[in-house]
Amino acid sequence: MMLTKDELLAPLARLREDRIVVTTMSVVRPWARHSQSDLDFASADSAMGHAADLALGLALAQPERGVVCLNGDGSMLMCLGTLATIVESGATNLTVLIVDNGTYEITGNQPIAARGSIDFATLAGAVGFRRTYAIETADQYEKQLPEVLAGVGPVLASVRVESGIEGPISRSPSEPSPYLRISLSESARRLREILRSQSAERL
Amino acid sequence: MANDSRDHAPGQYPGSVAPSAVRLVERLVALGITHAVGIPDNDTAEVFDRVRAHPMIRLLTVTREGEAFAIAAGLWIGGQQPVVVVQNTGLLESGDSLRGTAGRMGVPLLCLVGYRGYAKMVAPRAGTTSGALDAEMLTRPDVDSVALLTEPTLTAWGVPYWHHVSDNDTDTVIPSAFETASRQSQPTAVLLTRGFT
Repeated sequence: MMLTKDELLAPLARLREDRIVVTTMSVVRPWARHSQSDLDFASADSAMGHAADLALGLALAQPERGVVCLNGDGSMLMCLGTLATIVESGATNLTVLIVDNGTYEITGNQPIAARGSIDFATLAGAVGFRRTYAIETADQYEKQLPEVLAGVGPVLASVRVESGIEGPISRSPSEPSPYLRISLSESARRLREILRSQSAERL
Repeated sequence: MANDSRDHAPGQYPGSVAPSAVRLVERLVALGITHAVGIPDNDTAEVFDRVRAHPMIRLLTVTREGEAFAIAAGLWIGGQQPVVVVQNTGLLESGDSLRGTAGRMGVPLLCLVGYRGYAKMVAPRAGTTSGALDAEMLTRPDVDSVALLTEPTLTAWGVPYWHHVSDNDTDTVIPSAFETASRQSQPTAVLLTRGFT
């Protein structure tokens, strides 16, 4: 039985440690119910399909820190070549978690192309990802997530998740999700400053 | 898109000596550029080769130009200072990514853009400039439509731009474009109107 969003996100929130977590589309708001870390970044009000490449840039810039991208399956399809770019980059600290719900959820769950047949784990493995996982159940996810997050990447785990009813994402001061209360540029500046100060502390 | 874009043979460009890729890369390093992200065309191939061989700046080749702007945004948020190097064809491909990542995130990002079709566009026989954008002009076989669309597109996207022709521009235009990007926290573009040696 496929996972609920809570079953996907709660274990990750427990195990993420000091990793940067980039969210997009249908998990932007649900993630904020599980985590309110300064190291969370919503790729919302941004560019369609570009969360994984944004996360790759962060991973290359912060090689001593893990980066997790909670990417949609539709979003991944929009920029599938990024899988090759990730491998080409040599980044070893990037984990891509595909939220495989088979739909464009925030526009009303229209099916994505190749729904039911697309196999992101096989694609990533063929491109050259070091480790790939195709996860179907909550039990499997709970058992495998520590392994997914540990060790050398890049790693891709495609996780079968129930479609929900998340609507369009906006940013405004009245948003319930704290990281959506500020503009995208302010989010970017804040995360840059946090990373800069933490890097200085490590030296 | 790694395109065979050259509409003029090396050394046949009207005017002075072609600019030096070595000089450009050293200028980028002097400005504090840490990463070059993009896809080469014929005119920028030498720049990519020089970046690849340089110890102070890292090259990352992408699969589509739109990726370059998102990766550059991530690099900047993570504390680095990237430059994007793409052809104008790839610039057009990158519209939403440039807008939604580097632009929307306020990233001070210098973009070096190979100006495919520039020489043909400005040649007297073409009899046009970027201002003429009717259907007849956009389908003329002797003018590359991407050249016609490049500057109007940058203007529409709110991206300040400069032309680069010579080594002197490497020393003046590149720092100006970078300074503007930094001061205004936004992408700026330098249009590379000829190939490098």
